[in-house]
Amino acid sequence: MGTTPIPVVELENLKVKLGRREILHGITCRLGVSGTGKAVGLLGPNGAGKSTLILTLLGFLRPSEGRARILGMDCRRNMGEARSRIGYMPENDSFVGEMTAVTFLRQMAELSGLPPKAALEKAHEVLFHVGLGESRYRELRTYSYGMKQMAKLAQAIVHGPELVVLDEPTNGLDPAARRRMLKLVTDMKEEQGMNVLVCSHLLRDIEQVCDEAVILKDGAIVHHCNLEEERRSNRSFVELEVTGDDRDLRTALPEIGADGVSEGAGRWRIVLPAGVEVEAIWALAERQNLLVRKLTHRRDTLEEIFLKAMGHLSHTPGESAALDVSRT
Amino acid sequence: MAVYKRGYQRYAGPLTSRWTRFMVLPRYAWKRLYEQRLVLLLTMVSFVWPLLCAGFIYLTNHVELLQGLDKEFLEFIKVNGRFFSIFMYVQAGFAVFLAALAGPSLIAPDLSNNALPLYFSRPLTRWSYALARLTVIIGMLSVVTWVPGLVLFLFQVGLAGGWWFLANWTLGLAVVVGFLLWLLVLSLVAMASSAYVKWRIVAGAISLAFFFILSGVSAMIDAVFRVTWGHVLDPAWAVNRVWCTLLGVDPPEGPGAVSSMLSLAVFVLLLVLVIERKLRPVEVVR
Repeated sequence: MGTTPIPVVELENLKVKLGRREILHGITCRLGVSGTGKAVGLLGPNGAGKSTLILTLLGFLRPSEGRARILGMDCRRNMGEARSRIGYMPENDSFVGEMTAVTFLRQMAELSGLPPKAALEKAHEVLFHVGLGESRYRELRTYSYGMKQMAKLAQAIVHGPELVVLDEPTNGLDPAARRRMLKLVTDMKEEQGMNVLVCSHLLRDIEQVCDEAVILKDGAIVHHCNLEEERRSNRSFVELEVTGDDRDLRTALPEIGADGVSEGAGRWRIVLPAGVEVEAIWALAERQNLLVRKLTHRRDTLEEIFLKAMGHLSHTPGESAALDVSRT
Repeated sequence: MAVYKRGYQRYAGPLTSRWTRFMVLPRYAWKRLYEQRLVLLLTMVSFVWPLLCAGFIYLTNHVELLQGLDKEFLEFIKVNGRFFSIFMYVQAGFAVFLAALAGPSLIAPDLSNNALPLYFSRPLTRWSYALARLTVIIGMLSVVTWVPGLVLFLFQVGLAGGWWFLANWTLGLAVVVGFLLWLLVLSLVAMASSAYVKWRIVAGAISLAFFFILSGVSAMIDAVFRVTWGHVLDPAWAVNRVWCTLLGVDPPEGPGAVSSMLSLAVFVLLLVLVIERKLRPVEVVR
């Protein structure tokens, strides 16, 4: 008989107040599956409640109502046990300045329950892994911002946790360091089998490393999507701007297997299914006697989803076109 | 295999016990503290007085060395409650300076570097963190207070014999209990100042000033209102009053040992509340 999969995060009508202000308004969801080595992204604009949710999951904030479970353990009652299975990388600078990176990591590993010798070995290993091997005997206060970010990641994984919680991991990193950070996060889940919970407001980061994404707005979940499936569908998006009579374009799009919505003034958002190339749009515009002023082609699905969730976009192309047609 | 060639692999071995984990913070803190020359120097200087006291005990137990001295003087230099009270006053002074020197480096660096979320995201509660920090300072001060006090007591027992022990065993207990009470007050003051002031020098100055200011305030109250109860506002006086009762020596004029204990309990409670408010992984701005 198979065992029931344990979700990485399980929320039941979770409400959290900071002072008198309610930040999270009764969130209910199940994210990820424990032990699968997948990443869940928490997306949302500043002030959406992402960090509050993470702090609640870590047991730093108490829910005013409802329940939060992490790796199947209650965030109020079993946090002691849960914390030995979690690694946390905070958003802000967090370290002990007068310690060398090795000593700091060794102490953190020992606090998580590793014996001193194993803690020292892991501290060295993980510092080489994140690219701080050469500077591991330097005091942390002498590190650059990017190095401190890597040191924070290193302390989060030094004890080999089942779940790593990363709060804005690429904040303030230059493009090369950002790529390296995302590569490390991908390795963590793919090579080490760790579950990862990434909190970010950067869509590209989430899209690159996550398999599942939750979008928060004003303390509530406004969208929950499976990015793996989105990627598998291999749809691509086109932003089109045309001059001419484009009234027939909506009905013509299905001819090439595409869907789209008009945003007015000749602007269109079109979704192309797998196998249909952008050249088909050019040909269609020619057939419709339309002059193409702008055509942007990309495979960035999350931005569409995010904009729709935030209310900046009324429909996600491909999802609502049929509905609009039926209305007309 | 060299560590840089090995690559990172998740740890999957056995975990240590809760007690071992609790001692991680004190171990690292002691190592850092004794790397400071000033702390080491003051600790070593603190052993001078216990060594002199040990010499004194040796002399009093070797009558042949004291032949020819006045009988009254011989009576005066006995090892009794008064002897241990003098020993304790001096060592308590060293403990104050040591606490002011070492205390600020306990919590202040963790707060200024925002390290608390890292600690509290591990299997370490706020209380165990505070207790671990308390262990650091109490452990460090124990080395110069009740440990040498107990050694002196045992030294006297060894020289004077079992009868002396039977008649004076309460002295040994008084030294340990009395010092632990003083260390608790000292450590909490050092931790509270360290939790509220990020600059070490200022935090050290505050923990020193705490005792001087309260002593001044209590003396002022006594003088203005022509009372003696003002003394209970001075924790150093209150501890001294408790010591007098424990050691069986003449107490100073003022409130009794029970009142002093009560005032110390209030001090301890207030200091614990002050520390509790500050030791949080996240600060909620209302």
